[in-house]
Amino acid sequence: MLIRVLALAVLLGAVALGYRWWQGRQGTVRRVERPGALTASTLGDQPGERATFVQFSTPMCAKCPPTATLLKRVAAEQPHVSHIEIDAAERLDLARELHIMRTPTTLVLDAYGVVVARMDGAPSEQQAREALAAVPPPTEYSI
Amino acid sequence: MSTEAKDIQIDPRGYRFGASVTLVVSIVALVLGANTAGIVAMGVLALLFLPGATIGPQATLQSWLFRRFIRPRIGAPAETESFRPPRFAQQMGLGFSLLAVLFGVLEIALGFYIFTGFVVAASFLNSVFGFCLGCEIYLLAKRATTRAA
Repeated sequence: MLIRVLALAVLLGAVALGYRWWQGRQGTVRRVERPGALTASTLGDQPGERATFVQFSTPMCAKCPPTATLLKRVAAEQPHVSHIEIDAAERLDLARELHIMRTPTTLVLDAYGVVVARMDGAPSEQQAREALAAVPPPTEYSI
Repeated sequence: MSTEAKDIQIDPRGYRFGASVTLVVSIVALVLGANTAGIVAMGVLALLFLPGATIGPQATLQSWLFRRFIRPRIGAPAETESFRPPRFAQQMGLGFSLLAVLFGVLEIALGFYIFTGFVVAASFLNSVFGFCLGCEIYLLAKRATTRAA
């Protein structure tokens, strides 16, 4: 009995530590350098002219709907930034290609559809803005 | 599953209460050990999971207890969630509990402890931190079980 109680305490301690480590990574913005662009036909929707949040979700993901609401709000703050939500369970091809391991995972695309940043897990509002800042500012044209 | 049109919104606090019931029962089973008493505890847990895994978490005894005795004291929820992620997690819980019972009956103690331990770990994460392990695993499970095109 005693050894099982001790094993239980060790199990719960390890799970709690694992959880803290995992949550610490939640939403962290990582800069990405990935050759090639994602096109409208791959994404199944029209990307933004300046930047795009591509959010991978599943129907089984509790944090996905609030993340979509947050990203839509952050995207609406700036012109020509859009939000596309993709069901990773339906688009397993894309999920494999882009190494989507958990949902929500959000990629940030620049004006050309090139992935410049990603957030694995639900981001905070600050993290969403930080990710969007990875997109270089629009070039000034003079005629 | 995802083709079902009708979504049901549930009170996430009720589901979390259900996870704490699961945690208590699975801890009792783990401490009792791989004997008749422990196996019976996991069997009871599997029965508690059954309505949640088939209909949804709103159909469980735990959910009824929450609605009857707890929610009247704490008021309406600030936000609700879809019933689908927790139902998937309840299916995982049911599967693991049944595997624990099976290994227990076959007198393979290690298998009993592993699967009971999984249930303890998952319900601990859910009840204490509000973190749904089953929901996180869904995509990985789907990726692993579906062949590349």
